[in-house]
Amino acid sequence: MADEDDFERPRWKVWLLNRFVLTPVILLVIALGWDLYASMNNDGLIVGRVVDAQGNPVADADVSLWIFNFTTFNENKHVTSGPDGVFTITGNPSHNVQVTAQKPGLGASPRVPIRLYFRSQNVTLKEPLVLPGA
Amino acid sequence: MVSLASEVEPDRRAPFVARKSTRQAVLIWCFLAPSLLIFLLYRILPLVWNVVLSFEAWSPLKPAIFIGLENYEEMLDDDVFWQALWNTLYVVASAPVGIAIALGLALLVDTDIRGRNIYRTLIFLSYPLMTVAVAIIWRWMFDERVGLFNYVARSLHLVDAPIPFLNSFTWALPSVIAANIWQMLGFYMIILLTGLQNIPGNLYEAAEIDGANAFRRFLRITLPLLRPSIFLCFVIGMLNSVTSFDLVYVMTGGGPGRATEILVTYIYKLGFVQTRFDYAGAVTVVFFVLLLVIAWAANRLSGGNAGAVERD
Amino acid sequence: MRRYPRWPIHLALILTSFVMLVPFYWVFKTSISGENIFNYPPSIIPRNPNLFYYVDVWYAIPFARYFLNSVIVTVLTIAANIVLNAMAGYALTRGFRGKTFILMLFLSCMMVPFQATIIPAYLITAKLGLLDSYLGLALPQFSTIICIFVFKASFDAIPASLIDAAKVDGLSEWRIIWTIMMPLAKSAMATNVILSFIWSWNNFLWPLIMTRSPEMQTLPLGLSRFLSYQEDTTGALYAFCIMVLAPGILLFLLAQKEFIQGLTSGATKG
Repeated sequence: MADEDDFERPRWKVWLLNRFVLTPVILLVIALGWDLYASMNNDGLIVGRVVDAQGNPVADADVSLWIFNFTTFNENKHVTSGPDGVFTITGNPSHNVQVTAQKPGLGASPRVPIRLYFRSQNVTLKEPLVLPGA
Repeated sequence: MVSLASEVEPDRRAPFVARKSTRQAVLIWCFLAPSLLIFLLYRILPLVWNVVLSFEAWSPLKPAIFIGLENYEEMLDDDVFWQALWNTLYVVASAPVGIAIALGLALLVDTDIRGRNIYRTLIFLSYPLMTVAVAIIWRWMFDERVGLFNYVARSLHLVDAPIPFLNSFTWALPSVIAANIWQMLGFYMIILLTGLQNIPGNLYEAAEIDGANAFRRFLRITLPLLRPSIFLCFVIGMLNSVTSFDLVYVMTGGGPGRATEILVTYIYKLGFVQTRFDYAGAVTVVFFVLLLVIAWAANRLSGGNAGAVERD
Repeated sequence: MRRYPRWPIHLALILTSFVMLVPFYWVFKTSISGENIFNYPPSIIPRNPNLFYYVDVWYAIPFARYFLNSVIVTVLTIAANIVLNAMAGYALTRGFRGKTFILMLFLSCMMVPFQATIIPAYLITAKLGLLDSYLGLALPQFSTIICIFVFKASFDAIPASLIDAAKVDGLSEWRIIWTIMMPLAKSAMATNVILSFIWSWNNFLWPLIMTRSPEMQTLPLGLSRFLSYQEDTTGALYAFCIMVLAPGILLFLLAQKEFIQGLTSGATKG
């Protein structure tokens, strides 16, 4: 309340430029910025790669998306990897999912958990899904 | 508008003075009315209603029947009630422990060491926080598997098996009390600190010249002059610990068994779990009388100093 | 007074501060931990810390709704408290018939803890038809005796000559209250805001009794409900706990001087 002695400052400055106003405003701006970022990146895209044990891309592998539902993960979507092993899942509705890949003859990859910071966040997997081979 | 007009009118006439004072009285009562209404609705009326309920057999679906002292007779044979009463007294008796620790802290932060304001803030921080969250914090601290207490005790090989603090009949109530003291400590400290700072410094100087050592100065000057503050701490601490519903409800829910049941949680369970409003009313009356007796006793012990607290 | 060494005092105070802060750290550590929270021995420093428990909480419960409910109830309480207590405190500075009676009434009301009135208070609120509403949540705390006395003390401290001078200048009673008395009672107002904030924001028993619908729950109630259906199986509970504590801690750090002052004057004058 030391500002009261300060007659030079106009009244609106005293009322608006103090820590009780500035802190909530800053927090609000951060929250809005976060929301904006989230709304621009929530197409539910999951992009990744499927490789075999030697690291070669695997085409036509069956990639499935598992969605956390209270206590268990339920299978939700299937896509097929392209010729370069790349797959793209669209419309992921959740923030806590797992993906697996499998191909007859090459076995199934372990489930890879993906944690997202908001629902349907777009994400590109850094580690490829590895099929162990026959 | 009325007030402006009458202010402008010449005020030499005698009846006007009378009118003005009536208007003043009306204004005063209008100012008091909303607060009075709230207190009437949520303090006085409930108190009376509790007493009425305690003599009745009543539930929301049945009409009330006057049954005299039957509720109180039931209480005599109610083991849970006695357990809750005993636990409540136990909690009250624990308040001086916290106050003693806080007195030590207050003496420490009353010195002119550097950073004393930081210490004060840190120690005070836990008081204004939400008790439900504090209870969850302490649940986790006392956790049997990975709680900090068990971790430290096991690492130092003090215990062989982890102590299930909140599930043991011996440890549950002391654990809740420890959490309560932790939360109240900073508050006691600040109250006692204010008391300490109100003691005139020249008293100490005079005593020092007379050759009194630090311990004697504390005993002869600090403690007697601090008595009102200590008493205030005790009353607040007592009220707070007796009514620490949140802490008990979240930390143990009154369990294991009835080991941490205090009167407030028992009243809540009687009223809103078992829907026995009548019997709960009787227990509330006993609870309230108990509070009055303790406050009166504390008042007598402090040498009738309650006036110092309630003086406005 | 400089004869004794300082380090034992610092040591004792640092130890105490440590004891006061460790519980917060322990919960915070759990809330950002990336491993199973029940691993023994518990890690002191969280391994691969992340914020995913917070994301879980955000989607598991309507946190924003609870927060909004708490804010609405608290704002209602604070606003009503300032207006009603200032009015009652002002009235008590004046002489009138029955003043002693009112003072006695207030002082004896102070001896009635709210916990001792819950059953009739619930029945009364039900009769008023205010169960499960914001007004019903806030109403019992609309006026507090301690704050009335804080206001009275601060109005009493205003020199009578100041008010007389204003009267000579021809100011009406309302103008005197607004332009002279209220600005001088600023610290009483701060005390009142702080106290009613703490009481209303942290209140648990009353919302527990009188809210029925999940969308009327306040933060403390939401936290305790979350505990009862999650039974501390994941770190999400502790993330929720931190999210609930954060606004209180932030406010305390912003206004710590006012907090400490407000609580002491509330306690000593009340």
